This record gives sequence, C-alpha cells and structure tokens, in this order.
Amino acid sequence: MPVAISALVFSAACAAVLFMQVLSTGSQTYLLGGWAPPWGISLVVDPLSALMLLVVSVGALLNLVAFSFTPSKWPLRKTPAFLGLYLLATAGHLGIVATGDVFNLFVFIEVAALSSYALLSLGGRRATFASLNYLLVGSVGASLYLLGVGYLYIKSGSLNMLDIARILTTMPLSTTALTGFAVLMLGLWIKMAVFPFHAWLPAAYASASPVTSGLLAPMTTKVMAYVIVRMLITVFPQNFLSAMLGFSSMAVWLACIAIIAGALLAIAQQDLRRMLCFILVAEVGYMLGGAFLGNDTAMTGTILHILADAAMTLTLFMAVGIIVARTGSSRIRDMDGMFTIMPVTMLAFTAGALSMIGVPPFCGFFSKWYLISGALEAGHWVFAGSLILSSLVNVLLFFRVFERAFFRQPSTAAVQGTGNWQQLAPLCFIALLLPAIGLATGGIVQQIIQPALQGVL
Amino acid sequence: MHSLGEIFASHFNYIAYVAIMMVGLYAMAAKRNLIKKIIGLGIFQTSIMLLYVSIGAKKGATIPILAKGATAIRPADYINPLPHVLMLTAIVVSVATLGVALALVQKLHKHFNSIEEDEILKELRR
Repeated sequence: MPVAISALVFSAACAAVLFMQVLSTGSQTYLLGGWAPPWGISLVVDPLSALMLLVVSVGALLNLVAFSFTPSKWPLRKTPAFLGLYLLATAGHLGIVATGDVFNLFVFIEVAALSSYALLSLGGRRATFASLNYLLVGSVGASLYLLGVGYLYIKSGSLNMLDIARILTTMPLSTTALTGFAVLMLGLWIKMAVFPFHAWLPAAYASASPVTSGLLAPMTTKVMAYVIVRMLITVFPQNFLSAMLGFSSMAVWLACIAIIAGALLAIAQQDLRRMLCFILVAEVGYMLGGAFLGNDTAMTGTILHILADAAMTLTLFMAVGIIVARTGSSRIRDMDGMFTIMPVTMLAFTAGALSMIGVPPFCGFFSKWYLISGALEAGHWVFAGSLILSSLVNVLLFFRVFERAFFRQPSTAAVQGTGNWQQLAPLCFIALLLPAIGLATGGIVQQIIQPALQGVL
Repeated sequence: MHSLGEIFASHFNYIAYVAIMMVGLYAMAAKRNLIKKIIGLGIFQTSIMLLYVSIGAKKGATIPILAKGATAIRPADYINPLPHVLMLTAIVVSVATLGVALALVQKLHKHFNSIEEDEILKELRR
C-alpha cells in the first residue's frame, strides 16, 4: 500500500513538472529506443496531453488515498494483486494519453482495458458477470479501432500520428481512408459507452467495489473522449469531417439521443451509484456531440468538459463510495438524514452535484456554456435543447437525493464507525478544485486549448 | 468496368476477412454459452489479423533479410514485415484477453455452477 501510494505520488509529481515544462517550453517528444519517427514509436506530450496526464495521475492518487483509509468489507482491496492492477490500469490510461503512435495507442487501450476487467470483477458475482460482458463488448471496440488503423496504414503507410496527418493532407480523399476513419471512430465510441453501446457501463461500474468505480468512472470514458479529440484535431485533416457530413451529423444525433436517454434512464434508478452511471452516459453524449459539431467553440467545450467531468465524476463517486463503506448501502431511500450523519462527505457530494447541474462558479457550468454556444453557432438546436433538458433533469435527480438527505430524520439503521480525516481530505481537495477549475477556465482556454486547436488549422 | 468475378478475385482477402468477422460477431451475439461467446470473440479478432497479414503479403517475394554480400536491393523482392510484426503484438493482446475471459468464466462457474448466460441471469434475478 505505501509503495503504491508513493508510486502514484511520484507519477503525479512528474506529471505536474512535465505540465509546467510543456507550458513554458512547448511540447516534449521522447523517442522510445532512440528510433526517430516515423520508424520508431514516440511519446509526444503537448499542453493538452500534459493536462490529461495530470488529471489522470492526480485522480488515481486521490482515489487510492481516500479508500486506503476507509474501513470496508472488501478484503481484496489491500492485497498486492489488487494494487498492481490498480497501478497497471493507471499506467495504461497515462500511456493512451502520452503516445504519439496509433498502434501503440491500441496496445495501451488493451493494457488499460484488461486490467480494468480484472479490477471490475472483484466485487461479487454480479460484478464478475458484468465484467465479462464488458470484456466482450470492449474487445470488439478495441478490435474495430485496430481495423480502422489497418485501413489508415494501407492508405498512408505510417503509424505515427503526425506522419499520418502529413501524408493524408497531401493526398486526395479516398474511400479507404474515410472507411478507416469511420471504423476507428465506431470502435472508440464502443469503448466510450456512447448510447446504443452503453449497456456495459452501468452494469460494470455500479456493481464493482467503490474504489474501482472511483478510479475507472472518471478515467476510462474521459480518456477515450480525449482520444477522439486527438484524432479529430491532430490525425485527421479538416476535410475528413466535411467530406463525411452525414457521419458527423449522425454522431451529433447519437449524442442527443445519448443525453436524453441517459437522463431518462437515470430518473428510473433506485440506486445512487446506478443513477450516477446513467448520468455518466449522458455526459459521454455531451463530449461526443461537442467533438463532432465541427466548430472551435464546441471543441473547446468538449475539452473543458473532459476536464470538468473527470473532476465532478471523481467527486461524486468518491463521496458515494465513502457513504457505501460507512452504511453499506447506496440505495436512494437509505440516504435519509445523511447530512447529519456525514456532513463533510455530503457537502462534497453537493459540490459535485451542483457542478453536474451547471451552477456558475463550478466548472460544469463553463464547459456547458461553451458546448451550448457551439451548438447555437452550428445551428444545431436539438443538441442545445438536449443539453438544457439534461441539466434540468440533473436538478430533479440530485434534489431528490438532497431532499431525503437534508430534511428527513436519519434512520436508526446500521451506521457504524466514524469518518477519519485521511479519507475526507482527498475528497475535500477535489471538491474545492471544482470551483477552482471553473474560475481558471479562461486561463485553460487561452493557454492550452486554443494553441491545440490552432496547431491544426 | 470490372466484372463481379474480377472484383472477387482481386479483393479476395477483404471478402474473406469480412466473412470471418461476421461469423465471429454472430457467435458473440447469438450464442448463449459463455465459452462459445469467447470463441466468437477469438474469431472476430483473428479476422482482423488476417487482414493485416494479407496486406503485407506479396507474390514471389521473400522475408526482408539481405543475403550476405548482396549489393543491389530490389524492393519488389521483399515483403513488408511491419504488418506481420504488428500482428505479433495483436496476437499477444488477444491471448491475454482470452486468459482474462477464461478466468472470469471460471469464477462465474464457481459462483453459479453454470456457463449458460440464461441460467446465470435467472440466478441473478432471484
């Protein structure tokens, strides 16, 4: 346990130093084995990926610290095998963000995914079954990504992202490359749990142990959204989207359906964690739609939302995880009087919920603002409408919980043990980070997102 | 305009990989036995490997190792090794996936005493 935490502290510190360095001196490239691209594999960190590295490593660290001090009934949690898988999953996600090679990205996707399957299965028999289904669906997604890479390789003869981008801009559009683009995106959508392919997500995340879902729920979908953004702004030239208007408008419509379906399914849930999972399905819709609307404002919104959603999901899942560890239940009707039993946890939960709804000082507001203005700029009223509708549904969802937790008397049922400050400190830190990220939005957009977008145009 | 036969002959590898892929997908979607589903996944992954291997192949060419003392190098004599090397990695990945999947099925069998999806779902609903 101390080894795992110190490894994550070291990783987070490296990510922070790298972030500072990239901001001041521009992107860093590391050649694996000293082979120059396009022959060798390179790791490329530009401001955007440096930010993602920071988010992933800090998130993994805070989550592990909080749960290592939480007494709970999952004995497997502290075994070396579990911690190894935890670190492996984190490393896989970091690799996906840092790599500059499309095939290497596939390998990292599988590293991350295989360790996630094993982690998710450690939560009882329901979790094992859900995890096997996730494995079947997830492997198909990764295979389709690989197929798309194959088509791109047939056309461009290269696997390096920058090299592919250079070659694709010099040649006229071809059906091969467009097919590759479509298949690759389809694979990534499956891995990201876009609506018709979403069924694995609530099943797997709601039944896993809280520490696992606290790690993977903020991480996997966001990192996949980052890959889609990276593909759109770095690898594929602008004319790909304009050549496939049907495809991108289908993506935006899928996003609308995902948002509305996620919101409606969330209302039907009786379990707090399942409700959060369906809200996550709706959030995936936000990021997908923004990425495919095809203008800079919406893309800015998507990148901001990747960041904001990672922070809010982490807050919410950590808070619920602490509640579950304490009371043994995550059903909404067991939330009576939670504010008097666990005031600090519930305050953090409230911060996450308000950010999810989109209340101004919190970061969820700013990303949503960019997404809605991007939708209006593109004239896509339905997408803007679904965003607003889903925010309203979120109000309904969270106030249903608040009403029980704040006004009702706590039931005398089993509430054993007391909270300790080591588990609450990371939660408070991330909850305070929510308005901080919100207030830093201007800086993030100027320093990180605009250079990333202009590097392409 | 090419005749259908010509298209079939020149695109044989593509048609083969799509056909195999569909077999795998069918097995994953239609079979209720978990082991059969995993076999379907294996077939699905193998079809993509077939595509990669077939695009690297070249008629009458050999492996890209220079003979001792060779001076003139004709690219037409050598196949492109990169897709094959990539598939070596992909095979490793799919073996790992298979291992994790079988371990999960074993665990499920311990819990439910069955590897039929229907029976497991029935047991879970109770």
